[in-house]
Amino acid sequence: MTNTENKIITLNNASIGYQQKGNTSKVVKSGISLHALQGELVAVIGENGVGKSTLLKTIAGFQPPVSGDVLIGEKQVNRYPEKDLALMMSFVSTEIIRVPNLSVFDLVSLGRYPHTNWFGKLLDEDRHIIEEAIKAVGLQGYENRMVNHISDGERQKVMIARSLAQDTAVIVLDEPTAFLDLSNKYGIVHILHQLAGEKGKTILFSTHDLTTAIAESDRVWLMLHDSVEQGAPEDLILNGNFDNLFHNNHLFFDQEKGDFRIRKQTRRKAVVTGAGIKRDWTVKALERIGFEVVDETHLHRNESMISIEPADSRWVLKYLEHSAVFDSLHSVCRYLNNLR
Amino acid sequence: MAEVITDKIAGRGFKVLLILTLLVPLFFLIDLFVGSYYISIPEILKAIFRSGNADHQVVLIINQFRMPKAVTAILAGAALSVAGLQMQTVFRNPLAGPYILGVSSGASLGVALLVLGTGGLLGGSIVSAASSWGIVAAAWLGSGLILLLIVLISVRIKDIMTILILGILISSAISSVVNILQYFSNESTLKSFVIWTMGSLGSVTNSQLSVLIPSVLIGIGIAFVSSKFLDAFLLGENYARSMGMNIRFARMMVFLSTAILAGSVTAFCGPIGFIGIAVPHIARMVLQTAKHSLLVPGTILTGALMMLVSDIISQLPGSERILPVNSVTALLGIPIVIWIIIRNKNSSRI
Repeated sequence: MTNTENKIITLNNASIGYQQKGNTSKVVKSGISLHALQGELVAVIGENGVGKSTLLKTIAGFQPPVSGDVLIGEKQVNRYPEKDLALMMSFVSTEIIRVPNLSVFDLVSLGRYPHTNWFGKLLDEDRHIIEEAIKAVGLQGYENRMVNHISDGERQKVMIARSLAQDTAVIVLDEPTAFLDLSNKYGIVHILHQLAGEKGKTILFSTHDLTTAIAESDRVWLMLHDSVEQGAPEDLILNGNFDNLFHNNHLFFDQEKGDFRIRKQTRRKAVVTGAGIKRDWTVKALERIGFEVVDETHLHRNESMISIEPADSRWVLKYLEHSAVFDSLHSVCRYLNNLR
Repeated sequence: MAEVITDKIAGRGFKVLLILTLLVPLFFLIDLFVGSYYISIPEILKAIFRSGNADHQVVLIINQFRMPKAVTAILAGAALSVAGLQMQTVFRNPLAGPYILGVSSGASLGVALLVLGTGGLLGGSIVSAASSWGIVAAAWLGSGLILLLIVLISVRIKDIMTILILGILISSAISSVVNILQYFSNESTLKSFVIWTMGSLGSVTNSQLSVLIPSVLIGIGIAFVSSKFLDAFLLGENYARSMGMNIRFARMMVFLSTAILAGSVTAFCGPIGFIGIAVPHIARMVLQTAKHSLLVPGTILTGALMMLVSDIISQLPGSERILPVNSVTALLGIPIVIWIIIRNKNSSRI
């Protein structure tokens, strides 16, 4: 990385937290040094309560940092007059907006707030920008729909269109996919990825969804309990930083799959013969119910062996001298659970 | 294509506003027509336009009684409704109204101190001396003090819900003080206070109108220039701030307008309930929009219309008796509010 690249957001040894009575402050996290470059999609990942929201609120200028530097461009975020900051950075919150009788067009047009005159009059140029923003999130034709009559996923896209209409270099989103189903989660993060790449915006979003974050972000800010790490998601996986995300012994980070898995106590061992996708899913099913799947050669001589052979449309199970045939993995699992 | 449809919706808004603009003078005329003494419409028009051959007595009735009352109805309806609209938007609460900040309880404290306090100390004779101007001044002083308190609170306290709760608590506390004053007052002063709390459009004189009209116009003017702020408030204060709005300034403008509108109407007419809560919802529904550049004028016209209708009903056309206007607005407004609550159960939040 070279220093000539354009840092849009810079945190330099910053402490974040809340002002309390009598000039004291409660520090949520300190010693934060992070940055984001122009055109990057940045995912903020961390356990609940680690300070993601506080960090985003501090960067968005809703609360001042307790100490240290939080720079947007080259200026401290809390030194910006409100209007100048609104021309530089827009914000999308977790809250679901349900205003009756507010059309998609009118909601997106609120994004033009810092650009229009005292009465908020829209010029032709403003209308054009609003239409473009609606198109960018794939909602053309929705202009006159009421925002409380569309789905949660569509509403979140409308909120993103509103922040696009604000036409800022930076967009900050607090858990934009929190209430959405899987397909909408992918949809939203993919839109953010495109906006960062094609329009050169720096987009910062917090999320709990590792799979989409790893697949689409250019940079991850990983908020751990004792430190904050940043880098490409793949770098953080390779250097083992993801392992420290949760203070939970039952979870471990699967570096191959790029996601967390629940550590299960394995009670027994089993051998699965065969190959291909049918074997893979048979292994998964056995792991789910607490078996460790091993090679035949790893078994000790005195251990009783369960061997499963996936065949065309059935599973042949051998255990000691017993043998049984099943027509689904569900019945295999039922049988093995009862063997305990 | 989309632009055409957007224009069509805006077109609907203007059409509704036009219809309302035509309905208001119509009901204004009906309001002038209704009364215990029969005056034909041509005679009313003659009296209004000072035609030479107008009957002297008719001119007197129209100019001194019916005209100020109908004008007051328009002012009160428009003022309370716009105040209610602003409170519903700023507090993002469909049941907020013009009195939610305690403006009316402030006014009633002023009146109670004047009517019950002086009446109790100096005997009933003083009550008649406490002229209508005295009551107006006392009510205005009371709501003005509450306004000052609310604006001070709103500058110091960040959280809008805290302000709402403080407003409700302050008005409850003031109501208790008023109750204590009522408890210790004698029958005749108590009656004149209770009559004030029932609200009346008829007690406003032409000379008082010369104060009420500019006050309401100032309050409405502030609401008009705040319509962009109000739009931003729809999304909540965090969004409003992220779009570059100065929250404290915007809030102060809105509170100032609300207090001027609700305070002056209450000072002259007494507290008038439910118009301010119900009318903004009717306006939103007929205009099918959440934009305040349309809602503010729509609410003004709908409010004026609603108040004229209430006044017509309160005359009990065909009878000599007059109902307290406060009861009419409540009986008209409450069913509307109930209907709103039931209809909005699934998509609540204003």
